[in-house]
Amino acid sequence: MTTTRALGSTTGVEITFILIGLLTFGAAVLTVTVRNLVHAALWLVVALGGLAGCYLLLAAEFVAWVQVLIYVGAVAVLLLFGLMLTRAPIGRTTELDSGNRWAAAVVGLATAGVLVSVIGDAVRTTWFDPRQAVVNGTAKAVGTSLFRYWVLPFELLSVLLLAALVGAIVLSRRDVSDDVDAAEGTPRAQATEAEA
Amino acid sequence: MSALALIGPLTADATTPTNYENLSFFGRDPWWLILIKVVAVFAFLVVTVLMAILFERKIVGYMQQRIGPNRTGPWGLLQSLADGVKLMLKEDIIPTAADKLVFIIAPLIATIPAFLAIAVVPFGPANNQVSIFHHRTPLQLTDLPVAILYVLAATSIGIYGIVLAGWASGSTYPLLGALRSTAQMISYEIAMSLSFVAVFIYAGTMSTSGIVNSQHSWWNCLPLLPSFLIYVVSMVGETNRAPFDLPEAEGELVGGFHTEYSSIKFALFFLAEYINMVTVSSLAVLMFLGGWHAPFGLVSVWHGANSGWWPVLWYVIKLVLFMLFFFWLRATLPRLRYDQFMKLGWKVLIPASLVWLLAVAVVRTLKNEGDLNRSHLIYILGPVVAVLVVLWIVSELRYRQTSAVEKAEEAATAAKPFDPMDGGFPVPPLPGQTLPAFTPRRPRAALVGALVESAEASELEAGDPDV
Amino acid sequence: MSVLTSLLAASPGDPTNPGGGLGGATSTVTNTFTAPHVEYRALMPMLVVFGAATVGILIEAFLPRTRRYWPQVGVSLAGVVVAFCFVVANHGMAETTAADAVSVDGVTLFLQGTILLLALLALLLVAERGTGLVDLDAFTAQGATTPGSGGERAADAAGLRTTEVFPLMLFSVGGMLLFPAANDLLTSFVALEVLSLPLYLLCGLARRRRLLSQEAAMKYFLLGAFSSAFFLYGVALLYGYAGSVRLSDIATAITSSPHSDVLVLAGVALLAVGLLFKVGAVPFHAWTPDVYQGAPTPITAFMAAATKVAAFGALLRITYVALPGLRWDWRPVLWGVAILTMLVGAILAITQRDIKRMLAYSAILNAGYILLGVISTTSKGVSSTLFYLAAYGFATIGAFAVVTLVRESVRGGSDSGDGGEEDSVTVGGEATDLSAWAGLGRRSPLLAACFTVFMLAFAGIPLTSGFTGKFALFTAAIDGGAWPLVIVGVIASAAAAFFYVRVIVLMYFSEPLREQGAGPIVVVPSPMTTVALTVTVALTIALGVLPQMALDLADKAAYFVQ
Repeated sequence: MTTTRALGSTTGVEITFILIGLLTFGAAVLTVTVRNLVHAALWLVVALGGLAGCYLLLAAEFVAWVQVLIYVGAVAVLLLFGLMLTRAPIGRTTELDSGNRWAAAVVGLATAGVLVSVIGDAVRTTWFDPRQAVVNGTAKAVGTSLFRYWVLPFELLSVLLLAALVGAIVLSRRDVSDDVDAAEGTPRAQATEAEA
Repeated sequence: MSALALIGPLTADATTPTNYENLSFFGRDPWWLILIKVVAVFAFLVVTVLMAILFERKIVGYMQQRIGPNRTGPWGLLQSLADGVKLMLKEDIIPTAADKLVFIIAPLIATIPAFLAIAVVPFGPANNQVSIFHHRTPLQLTDLPVAILYVLAATSIGIYGIVLAGWASGSTYPLLGALRSTAQMISYEIAMSLSFVAVFIYAGTMSTSGIVNSQHSWWNCLPLLPSFLIYVVSMVGETNRAPFDLPEAEGELVGGFHTEYSSIKFALFFLAEYINMVTVSSLAVLMFLGGWHAPFGLVSVWHGANSGWWPVLWYVIKLVLFMLFFFWLRATLPRLRYDQFMKLGWKVLIPASLVWLLAVAVVRTLKNEGDLNRSHLIYILGPVVAVLVVLWIVSELRYRQTSAVEKAEEAATAAKPFDPMDGGFPVPPLPGQTLPAFTPRRPRAALVGALVESAEASELEAGDPDV
Repeated sequence: MSVLTSLLAASPGDPTNPGGGLGGATSTVTNTFTAPHVEYRALMPMLVVFGAATVGILIEAFLPRTRRYWPQVGVSLAGVVVAFCFVVANHGMAETTAADAVSVDGVTLFLQGTILLLALLALLLVAERGTGLVDLDAFTAQGATTPGSGGERAADAAGLRTTEVFPLMLFSVGGMLLFPAANDLLTSFVALEVLSLPLYLLCGLARRRRLLSQEAAMKYFLLGAFSSAFFLYGVALLYGYAGSVRLSDIATAITSSPHSDVLVLAGVALLAVGLLFKVGAVPFHAWTPDVYQGAPTPITAFMAAATKVAAFGALLRITYVALPGLRWDWRPVLWGVAILTMLVGAILAITQRDIKRMLAYSAILNAGYILLGVISTTSKGVSSTLFYLAAYGFATIGAFAVVTLVRESVRGGSDSGDGGEEDSVTVGGEATDLSAWAGLGRRSPLLAACFTVFMLAFAGIPLTSGFTGKFALFTAAIDGGAWPLVIVGVIASAAAAFFYVRVIVLMYFSEPLREQGAGPIVVVPSPMTTVALTVTVALTIALGVLPQMALDLADKAAYFVQ
């Protein structure tokens, strides 16, 4: 909200929007092209943050900050965690170059083309004035529409998360540890002690 | 869920003056005033940090029967400044294994978001403004309808500084420290946010000025005492401070994520840590301790206590008290073990805040519908108390079980004789074991001989080429 | 106490405190939030199932692991039965509720009833733990252990049970109940995820051949997530086109929107990818054989029967409520899909050597038949689809129930947890290779007879439910003008009859496999599987001999509300 105000004229908003859009686009391209997996994750963070900036400029401030909080602050951090805690290559590597990358590029471009053209067609005649639309982006407006019109899907999402939570526990909880037969048979600790 | 269901009605009856609702107090300043405010809050942060570092050393010193720094300036006041200058002038080392760009950016990513939160902290009432160069303005840089979300978002970006610092160092201890720190911050951010939700529900707004304004008659720490306690615990976890300073556990990880950092980059991490302390303390003050409101009873004696520049004083006093609390904790409590710490976060703080949140939401719904009276309290309080009692009994039973097991283990270890070099390292006696009686020192010559012998033995054993 | 009293003490409307405090009475009046009207009776089936699932989670949280099984079984079965009672009590309902997110009409209720009955039978299979002598638990003792590790053996020996499957399955059932009832695409999407996510997990929890099971779960998850993304893109495009995700609004927009048709066609195409993936139609069928083979057989049964019902329900609602205006665009595409599905299903089924894979291709083939009902775009088409879904679902659960009972025997095996103490022969995993089924009719005539009934039903032989269902479908398709499809359907049926009958021949006219002296054995299940098997056989025959009542019910149920 403050951003749009500070920028003053409408053209200012538009220019900023385009710049942030380009930044997001560039970061997204770098995400899939850099050779270092951690750098790719970082560019993904930039892309997600850029999207938050776009939301902000479109006067959807609640969504914007939630985007930063959830995607930048939680999802991408967990992604980095996954990279660093597993045996994923975290240095510069050529393993990331898939043989299918040209096919993937074609598919990606085609998808983007279709999306841009059809969405452009859909909103071609719509004029959006961020300053008038500020009320639509507030937490109040989002909350009202969530709980008035989308109450059932919203509550169902909590069911979905609950199921995912239970599933995660089923997949990861160990009442019996994996090296249990090591403890029974030839304990690793004892072996090392014997060596020492 | 039901908690969130309230946001709709709540924003509606947030605060009676419409100005707090649409925050029309803000965004009216001329550019020079904004600049002044920006510089002022920046300076406030930096000076607070300098003072905080000094106070910490002084206070921890007094608590440990020492004097603390007292050489630089009167009462050692310039010590932090001198330390800062010294750090700047030190050699800046970038390890060869480091990922250079990320290594350099990481401290910046840690520091810059730390500064952001202060932008929405209210130093004074928004509807009772002060005059700066004949321009009436609130004592607050700006405010957003979702200001607290903005603060949380800024904090969560700061995490990247730490995780990247650890990774980019190209070294094991920093990586482990960074992962610990990040896990810690993410875990405690959940409990922290949940404790905020109770405040949102109670105040009916997420803007900082609105929240502080809503504490006109009662500071939130009284009606929302559980949330306040949860927040106080989780804010210490969030800032990686003692007793939750596991990421920097020097006994285990050298220095944690900043092991490889030196000079100004290290100083930036140091700065970020203390700014984060200021930030979470500010949040505590504005969410739970009435923000700029004068202490209880003062307004009835002195009507002007909440107008003009006085609110800044109340705010700063509260902030300083909170910082002192941090230092006191550090001087008093030993560091937690990592698993105990995680257990506290996930198995105590988060469930407790969820149950409490449910109670707050129920009370709030009943109040919104206007049919809340004292007899309803039994229905609300009954289940809450019942759940708490059940949880307490269960945890107590489990504790007894485990403590029985621990006692058995203790007895088992006690049965073993104490071996001061168990596993090849000097170790303290385990619980139940006793130190052997003190043996007088052997003659010096014999001791030296024994040392040489053992050194040779270990050299052969380890086969280390460097020795 | 004091805390809450002070909460009250700080209540609004304090006249001495006009500036602060919490909202005054005036603002509450001027700016109230009107909650949407929710007809809880209409949502009761879902709410009961989700409630039972939540109770199941509480059981998991508070009961010790050894005492969870019976409460879980009781709660799950009770939840499904009560939900079914609510569906029956809601008969004749025609309304939308919860801000028009859900429409409860004949189709919804018929499908919900079918799903709940199928879920009840599948739950019986899932709850099967064998008699005291043989352990028939289909689920791994502990999902986190590495397959083949010592931990796995230790977990088996400790007698651990993954009782979390019950709440997970109930979550999935809840999603399935909502999927055909969803009146807007967003609800549809959420329901799709709620029904899919637990299934992805359940697929990976098999007790035997765990690597295969985990691979299946992984494949299903990745492809499922991909198809969900397609669905979501479709929803986004349709929203861009119609400015709403409500099905009736989309239907209106199609007749009146100024936007170009490319948008709506692209949207519908992407939407269709998501739905056709779930029903397992060619060319989105590739996951089916692997997943059906790898998943624990009770879950395969549940998936094959109930998911298909739910997904076809959603397909019916979207095509009949939202897209009647585009009929001339989507029908040719579905024609092609149906033809491909029937042919590929029939031809590839012939080449299979594994009974579960064969049943998987049979499922693909049947998805092709059911598409005929969707394509016909008549009320007759709807009712025949409903009937066929029920008939096919019961037969599928029965067929997979038989599969769970034919086991490998391991001579001198030391596989702990199997409980086959008396001899050195222990019961192993399911004998899914077709060769193991040779001569089953001689050693276990009753079981072979049951399986024969299901095979005949799949093949569409008269006096079974399959014949009635196919007859109804083909008639509806001819009424709808899709006679070329019917010809393909008949050809595919003939090809399919070949491999169904081949199994029957194998069971009755081949020598049993006794090479290493360790041929397959037929285990005696607990009453759970016996009941499920009996009910499915009875229903399969009943729907074939006396179908009129069920057909009437489906006819009466073939109406939509918007």
